[in-house]
Amino acid sequence: MGEIILTMKDIDKTFPGVHALDHVSLDVKKGEVLALMGENGAGKSTLMKVLTGIYKKDSGTITYEGREIEFKNPHEAQEAGIVIVHQELNMIGHLTVAQNIFIGREPLNGGLIDDAKMNRDAKKLFEKLKIEIDPTEKMNLLTIGKQQMCEIAKAISRNAKLIIFDEPSAALTDAEIEQLFTIIRDLREQQLGIIYISHRMDEIKKITDRVTVMRDGCNVGTLITKDCTKDDIINMMIGHVIYAAPKTESHVKPGTPVVLKAEHINAGRMVRDVSFELHKGEILGFSGLMGAGRTETARAIFGADARESGDIYINGEKVKITRPEEAVSAGLSYLSEDRKQFGLALKKSIVENSTLTCLPKFCRRQFIDKKKEKEVTQKYVDMLQLKTPGVDQLVINLSGGNQQKVVIGKWLIGDADILIFDEPTRGIDVGAKEEIYELMNRLADEGKSIIMISSELAEILRMSDRIIVMCEGKITGELDIAEATQAKIMNLATMRN
Amino acid sequence: MEKKKNAAGGSPLARVFKSQEGIAFAATIILFVFFIVASKSFRRYTTIVTLCNYMYYILLMAIGVTFPLITAGVDLSLGTGVVCYSIIGSFIINQMGMPVGVGMLVTILMGVLFGVINGVIIATLELPPFITTLCTMMIVRGLGSILTGGLSGVWPMEGSKGGWCRNILKVKANGKIIPIGIIWMIIILVIMSVILRKTKVGRYIIALGSNKEALRLSGVNVAKWTIVAYSICGLFTGLAAIAYACTFSNITPGTGAGLELDAIGGAIIGGTSMTGGVGSIAGTFLGVLIISLLKTGLPYVGLQANWQQIITGIVLIAAVTIDVLQHRKKTT
Amino acid sequence: MKKFKNLKFVRAIGFNRVVLICVIFLLYLLFAVLTPVLHGGASFVKVERIFSAMNYAYFLGFLALGVTFVISTGGIDFSIGPVMFASALISGYCLTQYHAPLWLCLIISLIVGSLFGLLNGYFVAYRFLPSFVTSLASIEIAKGIGSVFTKTQSVTWPTAGSENSWYKNLVRAGNVPTGLILLIIAAVICGIVLNKTKAGRYMLCIGSNKEAVRLSGVNTKKWEMIAYVICGLLAGCAAIFYVGAYTTVQPGLGDNFNNDAIAACVMGGTSMAGGVASILGTVIGTMIMSLMQEGILAMGFTISYQYVISGIIVLIAVTADTLSRKRKV
Repeated sequence: MGEIILTMKDIDKTFPGVHALDHVSLDVKKGEVLALMGENGAGKSTLMKVLTGIYKKDSGTITYEGREIEFKNPHEAQEAGIVIVHQELNMIGHLTVAQNIFIGREPLNGGLIDDAKMNRDAKKLFEKLKIEIDPTEKMNLLTIGKQQMCEIAKAISRNAKLIIFDEPSAALTDAEIEQLFTIIRDLREQQLGIIYISHRMDEIKKITDRVTVMRDGCNVGTLITKDCTKDDIINMMIGHVIYAAPKTESHVKPGTPVVLKAEHINAGRMVRDVSFELHKGEILGFSGLMGAGRTETARAIFGADARESGDIYINGEKVKITRPEEAVSAGLSYLSEDRKQFGLALKKSIVENSTLTCLPKFCRRQFIDKKKEKEVTQKYVDMLQLKTPGVDQLVINLSGGNQQKVVIGKWLIGDADILIFDEPTRGIDVGAKEEIYELMNRLADEGKSIIMISSELAEILRMSDRIIVMCEGKITGELDIAEATQAKIMNLATMRN
Repeated sequence: MEKKKNAAGGSPLARVFKSQEGIAFAATIILFVFFIVASKSFRRYTTIVTLCNYMYYILLMAIGVTFPLITAGVDLSLGTGVVCYSIIGSFIINQMGMPVGVGMLVTILMGVLFGVINGVIIATLELPPFITTLCTMMIVRGLGSILTGGLSGVWPMEGSKGGWCRNILKVKANGKIIPIGIIWMIIILVIMSVILRKTKVGRYIIALGSNKEALRLSGVNVAKWTIVAYSICGLFTGLAAIAYACTFSNITPGTGAGLELDAIGGAIIGGTSMTGGVGSIAGTFLGVLIISLLKTGLPYVGLQANWQQIITGIVLIAAVTIDVLQHRKKTT
Repeated sequence: MKKFKNLKFVRAIGFNRVVLICVIFLLYLLFAVLTPVLHGGASFVKVERIFSAMNYAYFLGFLALGVTFVISTGGIDFSIGPVMFASALISGYCLTQYHAPLWLCLIISLIVGSLFGLLNGYFVAYRFLPSFVTSLASIEIAKGIGSVFTKTQSVTWPTAGSENSWYKNLVRAGNVPTGLILLIIAAVICGIVLNKTKAGRYMLCIGSNKEAVRLSGVNTKKWEMIAYVICGLLAGCAAIFYVGAYTTVQPGLGDNFNNDAIAACVMGGTSMAGGVASILGTVIGTMIMSLMQEGILAMGFTISYQYVISGIIVLIAVTADTLSRKRKV
């Protein structure tokens, strides 16, 4: 382990309504692998985006190779030798491996691109890294893992001095992960600085030298990996402060009827043989890490994406759901995690959005009864304490919390019995969060059944009667609220196979 | 190695026939054979001449539009552009008394000018390509007749002063017309193929259509290469205008809408994807050959000339439907 | 200015629309002044000029109303001009060659238009083709069918005064501009459909966010297709008003009207990005485009100027819309 290559000191960044980074400091040495850990939303990605110039920091200093720097864009960072290997790969699928590696700096030979040289150079590069990839293969024919290797090769060929791996193993097979580790160890030997972002404890133990843990936009501490245990890290990640008391016992009495039963649902790589039951008046929490397949499961049940197999029973009866229309008429509803993309017609008014799920109820023949529509919407606006000058307000002009209330109101007006809330409090300020929690509890008391997908452990523990944990498209465990702890959930969420 | 076999499908021959170009090639052969069997009069030398007459300008437009299509854009101003630019060329030659060479140069420059205009609007204002080029389509349509006072255009005929322009694409020898334009087309095809496959121009245009964001992150000026793609298209529209003017005697202002369809259709049949990132000049050539064969061949089997339009429309819808299906399969 | 914007009637019809109405008067004034200067003492201030401009406005109005529905779903249909001609040709050919009764021919015109709408709508909504591709294909198919059906002959509908010419009364009965009345009625109906019915609500919401509407349990494909069918149906109507005004139709033409209709639409405040549409704006836009066409001809220019101007209008309108959306985000 050598001298320090990067120091980030007192980095502060505020987004409207969120203090994303609160005076975070971190340093990386040459020839070491630093793990960066934390729950979803702890601020890891924001920190890396500040480093590579995607976001501008509010205050603080970044010192890289002895000089204070501030990059304007990721390309400048790249030029300086800082490269991110992304979770979502930035590969140009229709070009070959070698063409991708050398994009933007192709070797020329008499004005023409020297593809032969590129292939040779790429081959040499792969040999050095001990990777077996054909440089002439089209990028989109490679597995995700191989694509990632290419991205690493690209970074190295650009003389990277600091490589950031953003959850690299999420999509890799075990063999590929082994290969990745070999490469990372090799890079360490060559005195590169490496930041490794991951949720997986066993990997952290295996590959990293130090662990920096973040929570709620703060740096909570740095540990030497070989001196600490898995539990030490988990404890740092979840902290001891819990904002509201978790539920101590399930509100669902034994023997309550099952309203929704999913059996052996399969849909692509992210939903594999998922089965579960939802009782009347229950809040069923779906926990897991990002990309565990929770959203995909919800979408498959709702008919938004095609299902390969699996049956859905509602109130004991098997129902056919292949399209959202069928799901809605069966009493299901789905509140997407991305309300701007999937939940709201932003250029339309609150009324128009609210009645979208059940417009026929407000129609006489084909004509919309606008008066009734407004009255009903107003009723729900009042009930949800939605702050707006009027129900004719365009949704685009509302705050995040109020937009979320429009989405909730839309399904309540539609009188759905089973509500799937996908990250219901994402991007919402604290006050609105409390209101939404309260509302969900009230709905459950009124006999609605709720599935709540959430990446915030505190939220899961506070709201759920029962918790299902997913990892890599499979259900890895089910916990009753009485026995659930953050550590237990974390363990299940990182349980690979 | 094993993986590669699975992906691309066994022997080189099988590989060719699995690609869109391969299918287009097979379709060309089938069409040829069909017309030869179905019609006696098709089996004449003059058929080749007619076929070539149709093919030159469509092929040039199609080569041009292949570039915007690869960037996941489109250029609809090709058809009216061809007519507008060749009329302006004719105006330069006839009314202003300039040599044919100058007329040609102006024709090409007009094409490039509108290509650049399209490119700049699309790259900097980020308007949808089809709306932008729909507008320039109308603008050049009116512009041709405004600039020339509504006169229809004629380029010098063979024998008259400047008549050499007629001999660019075909010469008469021993009473037979020899379509030497084929040679030009082959040269252009080779050059453009090299540009698409072997130069930064082509490389970045493909990358642009495949993953614009990744290209931007690699430090490549995305706007610049978008403009380049549309400028190439404009250049070839200008060339197509010359081919059009040198092939047909009378050019009516305000016409030309619909020609772009043959070109875009040709490119898509040849395997260029509307979703961007995929396309080849050889494929475009085969696609244009199919469309030109249909255009020249159908009258021989008793279908009225206007059936061609209907069939081009259907072929376009079919080609894009297949393209959409293929793309959907890949993403899921 | 602010006070003016807050006036009740200004708020009711929208500030932009008020500006556009002013543009109509300004244009009229401009043409009234310029026509005598540019065209050797000819006068623009004549009743006949107004009727002539109206003749253009009637069929253009129907085309523009139709395309408003498609644009409000976020799509585009620029095959309407050729589709209108195909409808007029096929129904006219039935009338003159097969001696079908006039009422039947008018219905045939509507059916032909709707079928093209169905074709476009099916491929856009159910086969996920880009709408401009289906438009391109439809242009060719419409022109081709028009030509094939009529054996490339132009079709002349019965002239005023002859047998079977009552359809002319739809455009102008004596000095009563029936066409205007019918256009207004059609616009009112379109306004009701777009703003007061389920269909219109779904279309506008699809234009704003199709996926959100689909996930709300709405059959988005069906409603998207219906927008195209309405557009086709109105192109069929436009055909009747076209022959009512101009009597003769030639095969192989019609695409110059597409852009005028789209220009009328976007000028009136309908967003090319979908989700926002104004029927009143479309009607006013139609008036402006027709007046402009009449003025350009009256001043002694060719119609080519209109092509250029409508092209530029659409470019400006779309740019303004794009920029204003960017600012919001």
